[in-house]
Amino acid sequence: MRTLATLVLLFFTWIDSFAQGAPSWLEESLHGSGKMNTVVAVVAIIIIGVGIWMFAMDARIRSMEERMNGRQGDEHQGEQK
Amino acid sequence: MKHWWWKSLAIGLLLFASIAALWTPLSPALVHVEPDRIAPGPMEVLVTGYNSNFSNAGSSISFFENDGQRFCPERTEVVDDRHLRLFVQVPGGLRSSMTDLQVGQLRYPGAFYTQELGEGIADRNCEEGHVQDGVFTFPNRSILYESIRNLHFHVPMWFTMIALMAISMWKSTQVLGNTSLDRDRDALAAVHVGLLFCALGLMTGALWARATWGAFWTSDVKLNGAAVTALIYLAYLVLRGSVPDAHKRARLAAIYNIFAFMLLVMFLFVVPRLNAVDSLHPGNGGNSGFSDLDLDNRLRIIFYPAVLGWILLGLWMYDLRRRTSRLNELLEQ
Repeated sequence: MRTLATLVLLFFTWIDSFAQGAPSWLEESLHGSGKMNTVVAVVAIIIIGVGIWMFAMDARIRSMEERMNGRQGDEHQGEQK
Repeated sequence: MKHWWWKSLAIGLLLFASIAALWTPLSPALVHVEPDRIAPGPMEVLVTGYNSNFSNAGSSISFFENDGQRFCPERTEVVDDRHLRLFVQVPGGLRSSMTDLQVGQLRYPGAFYTQELGEGIADRNCEEGHVQDGVFTFPNRSILYESIRNLHFHVPMWFTMIALMAISMWKSTQVLGNTSLDRDRDALAAVHVGLLFCALGLMTGALWARATWGAFWTSDVKLNGAAVTALIYLAYLVLRGSVPDAHKRARLAAIYNIFAFMLLVMFLFVVPRLNAVDSLHPGNGGNSGFSDLDLDNRLRIIFYPAVLGWILLGLWMYDLRRRTSRLNELLEQ
């Protein structure tokens, strides 16, 4: 859990470099950035969020599978005895 | 195949909305003039446009307008599609301290601070530019710029969360009727998925706030309302964890959940719209939403499919979650 928190924190400091604050006209005209970076970061966050959910669901199903296999294994052993 | 149609619809809508949200260009606009103050006499002005097409003949015709009185540049030099150099003889005696600039059909209100005012000038008959505007574009607004696309990503997160929390509340009312543990399980699954969308809504909102307001978080009534809502639903999970008896837990959680949804409506919709409250967030505290930017429904055409797509995806995730929860319980028996 602590690793996750650190990762989230690191992610936000990294993403901060994309989502610059309201840019001055100088930034605006020099870099030509019309805040597209923010949109990219927002889409990235959503995909990462849904991705984390998918991994969690995967882990959930896997643990159920393992328990099921364990149970079947017990039943097999029972039959052999 | 029967159960697949709405899931396919979800993917189709999300595909359409996401591609359209990212691909649609922003309307052209004038973003900068250099220098930004004018005084009577000859001046050279460099105009910077965004997504502009100054090389197109009709798009580079320009005039200055001061309090309804126009004067035209003597010569126009097209540097490239985004830059234009205007050579203008600024007349003496302009009335207003703000002079607008129009290039083609693009207007920059209050582009120049005007010095040495007078009683007005003889209005010149300047040629007006024209631009064939047939391309589908999003509104181009200062401060927002390209981040207007976030409308199609950030807002559907909240719509989906509210849909899921509403389903959860509905299931909870059914629990109260007959203490059905199945319905209780469904209510919990909906809150779980709803909290994911809540988290995504908070994070995407924070990023958007950083780009437009300059800070990830402000003590805005809408933002704090959203945060409190998240805490209320986290407390729902904590409450469930603290009651060992399943039937008692189902009843208690159901009652709490119904109140939680009422509070959600209060904190997200009622409090931020009170007259006494000020808010930066669009659609609150007397602000208009994006509807005033969207007079020709160009945002809505993509926004509504995006909302529907995300809600359907949320329902799909909720369905997966409750089915696995059921299997999990069967396995534990």
